[in-house]
Amino acid sequence: MEIINWKGILESVLFAAGDEGLSIKQIATVLEVEELRVQEIIHELQLDYEKDANRGIMLVQIAGVFQLATKKEHALYLKRLVESPGTAHLSQAALETLAIIAYKQPITRVEIEEIRGVKTERPLQTLASRALIKEVGRAEGAGRAYLYGTTKEFLDYFGLKTIEELPPLPEKIDDEEVQDEADLFFEKFNEL
Amino acid sequence: MEYNEYNVKIDAFEGPLDLLLHLINRLEIDIYDIPVAEITEQYLLYIHTMKELRLDIASEYLVMAATLLAIKSKMLLPKHEDESEEAFSFEEEEDPRDELVERLIEYKKFKEAAVEFKHLEEDRGLIYTKPPSDLSEFAKETQSEKNDINVTIYDMLAAFQKLMRRRKLQKPLATRVTRQEIPIEKRMTEIIELLGTGERKRFHDLFPVPDRSHIVVTFLAVLELMKRQEILVEQEQNFAEIFVTAQKGADKVGNY
Repeated sequence: MEIINWKGILESVLFAAGDEGLSIKQIATVLEVEELRVQEIIHELQLDYEKDANRGIMLVQIAGVFQLATKKEHALYLKRLVESPGTAHLSQAALETLAIIAYKQPITRVEIEEIRGVKTERPLQTLASRALIKEVGRAEGAGRAYLYGTTKEFLDYFGLKTIEELPPLPEKIDDEEVQDEADLFFEKFNEL
Repeated sequence: MEYNEYNVKIDAFEGPLDLLLHLINRLEIDIYDIPVAEITEQYLLYIHTMKELRLDIASEYLVMAATLLAIKSKMLLPKHEDESEEAFSFEEEEDPRDELVERLIEYKKFKEAAVEFKHLEEDRGLIYTKPPSDLSEFAKETQSEKNDINVTIYDMLAAFQKLMRRRKLQKPLATRVTRQEIPIEKRMTEIIELLGTGERKRFHDLFPVPDRSHIVVTFLAVLELMKRQEILVEQEQNFAEIFVTAQKGADKVGNY
């Protein structure tokens, strides 16, 4: 039986695909194997990269597709390749706005402003121009306000696999913890 | 110097809710049992400081000040005692602070989520990927038939962001500061000329110069040409490479 070096083939294909990445389905089509088998090959290659500290590349799933990326621990050297390493980070206002959209999408500007308690036009503009959010429709009712949602760029920007992978939103503020601390304090206080 | 310090401090708040959370935190107050008189006093102190520094106080801050005062006065009112309602009164009694507390908690959730996002942003900033390799020499010469233009402005923006990221890595190690303004019309003509042969070009290929202003002008030129229907922009599937072709009979860019 002929031995096919699937891992090597996958590596080549992913290298060529670059940051467009490939979905399991696409890889299955290219390699002409079952999707289940693709997952195995991906996993094997992932392990190879992980185990070997001498490899500078890793296989990650970002925004629903698999792609090759440099290892985090080498970032320092990569930054030296460019003149100004400082990428424009998002402002606090933009991050808050984006968080609200990510968890509550689709959502209108007014609803966002109600939560934040301030005007939010500028952060929305910034986010839209960076393609992190987009208009996904119109709200029912008077004015038919735009509804905003996150984009694939958003997933990519934060290195998320899918929208379901968002870190869970704290449902209740962990007030109990604070309460416990306070109780402890008073216990100590009474002991004195 | 001191002036600056204050300035920075006040700018650091994302709005009245943020300021309130800061005060609650600093005064070590239970968010579910806010001493309204105290917090109102502290809040107004901040507003006054802002005023003294002649900062523009966003109207939202004043609305919140009014809200706090309204709550404070409501709490001072004697509790309504009606015997017929006494049975309910334990559960039904409304705390004037409830609505504010609810808003604060809701806002706090997202403020915390934003911190999480910040971490993710930093983490993602540590890994790099490369643009797809040019495999066009393998491509079968299949000029895709005219399908409907299904490229939205958001696809264009996403493509633009990607391009800017790529340009960053290709930036020469030393740069001169120059100011060179390229008229959009000139780029439009150039693009039409480039596409003149009827050949399909990758969106990426329209940006040969790794210079920010050149990229921006080219991007605007592409959008304008799209609007005037002088070029056809296609994308075979979501997030795939965007291709650009000249529309038939659009060998001249006129009327401007």
